[in-house]
Amino acid sequence: MRKVAIVGGGATKCGKREASWRDLVQEAGKAMFENVENLSPKEVDSLIVGAAQPERFIFQVHVAPMVAEYLGITPRKVIAKTELMCASGQAAIRYAWACVATGLADIAVAFGVEKMYMPDMAEAQTNMTCVSDREWDGVNGLSAPPFFAMTAQRHMREYGTTKEQMALVSVKNHHYSSMNPLAQFQKEVTVEDVLKSPVVAPPLNILDCSALTDGAAGIVLVPAEDARKYTDTPMYIIGSGQASIGNALGNLASITEWVPLKIAAREALGSAKITIDKIDIAELHDCFTISEIMEYEAFGLCEKGKGGKFVEEGQSRIGGKIAVNPRGGLLGCGHPLGATAILQALDILQQFRGEVPRGRLVDNAEIALAHNLSGTSNVHSIIIYSRQPK
Amino acid sequence: MNKPKFEKIKRPETIKLPFMLDFYPLEDEKYTRISQFFKNLKERRLTTTKCKRCAQLLWPPRIVCPNCFSDELEWVDLGTEGELYAFTEMRLGAPLGFVEDVPFCIGIVKIGGLLISARIDGAKYEDLKMGDRVRLKIVELEDGRVFYRFFKAKE
Repeated sequence: MRKVAIVGGGATKCGKREASWRDLVQEAGKAMFENVENLSPKEVDSLIVGAAQPERFIFQVHVAPMVAEYLGITPRKVIAKTELMCASGQAAIRYAWACVATGLADIAVAFGVEKMYMPDMAEAQTNMTCVSDREWDGVNGLSAPPFFAMTAQRHMREYGTTKEQMALVSVKNHHYSSMNPLAQFQKEVTVEDVLKSPVVAPPLNILDCSALTDGAAGIVLVPAEDARKYTDTPMYIIGSGQASIGNALGNLASITEWVPLKIAAREALGSAKITIDKIDIAELHDCFTISEIMEYEAFGLCEKGKGGKFVEEGQSRIGGKIAVNPRGGLLGCGHPLGATAILQALDILQQFRGEVPRGRLVDNAEIALAHNLSGTSNVHSIIIYSRQPK
Repeated sequence: MNKPKFEKIKRPETIKLPFMLDFYPLEDEKYTRISQFFKNLKERRLTTTKCKRCAQLLWPPRIVCPNCFSDELEWVDLGTEGELYAFTEMRLGAPLGFVEDVPFCIGIVKIGGLLISARIDGAKYEDLKMGDRVRLKIVELEDGRVFYRFFKAKE
């Protein structure tokens, strides 16, 4: 297996964009190629496109060749789309990485895109309700907010987690997204703002939930030995893990403990031969405030049930025990499904390069972890990035 | 130079809800091999499949046991009363077909040794608490298909 480097990338501004899916692809493609020196689109031999639901959101299938056409890429080794709902972008990175590592590809683009704003937003919500088993869970109106609302309800009951502690996750991540020009939300919020925002599904208010978002992003992966052809500051993939248990709501390992995340974390850290205390930046999938709290626990950053306390003590801020979501998270940056993991990777690269604003820069960061969950939190995906090839 | 012609064209004003945007499953035996589940529901019985070989209780109902790959499964009753494990109320962001129902309660119900999601009818969020006893009810769609829901049992 070859070591794999990420040599650059680019992204669109995320949010409710006055732009089509095809426009977003072109904006991100231009930004990506302008960021990578000495690379022409024609040299890219492989393209993996993370896109969760173009079939529903823009009524289009077979989107990978469409992206290739708009980007001026003519893949001759590997081309495919990956779908893993909220982790579709991470699936794209994983496959691009695997292709380069095995020698199946030499220059691969992992791209992600989602256009989620539709003229009728009830249609967008319909798309988001066929994620869990549609015939047995979706049919009950069970989209993500009700599922995570019930998760939060049980966590509050069993561990004493409070609404205020959950709100602090949103406050922290909006603080960082206020310094991220690509973010959907660039305004700070207070605990009071969160608690007084409209209720989506109790106990979740709208500022406990990540938004529907339009956005696209792409990164370029090459064998580590070729990285210096394109940049003096590449980053390397040094570990990964992924686990899935159950699918229908009744078949999850547990509602209040994310067992597959513990398995994926063990695998990811083990494959990188490091422990969690070596991680300087953790981009954790904060689709809802409760998610980030449960992720602290599953990663062993704090004791089970003490996730609320962890954020309350400021342990997940820059300067605390670990910097969690200095990008601004999904809560602050938005969550364009297929693009999210690519945006995380890109921000980590910019952190390593010292290109992010001072207020959210993690000084001397060497190793970062990016995590995505998908579905009813039954699937967890993790990649570990390093500034050094290791 | 001739000015290009500008013509208005017509499309149907309304279309029937396409099947694949309908959340309710196709129940008829022409479409599924678990149509017995829905036949049982019509008789007001909530059932699922159990593997005859390894005795595993399977939800949702199956035609093959993923534990031992036997296809000899039997229908067993889950009962008509469960316990509310968790619940919430859909207030914003309902999908097409459910928008008119907002707000409505959704719960996770413990029943017959399983945890299943379901609509909880006839109650507001404030009326419910974890541990409440809930009873089975059957709803019938305009086209005759049926599905299960629960409602809060009176103490």
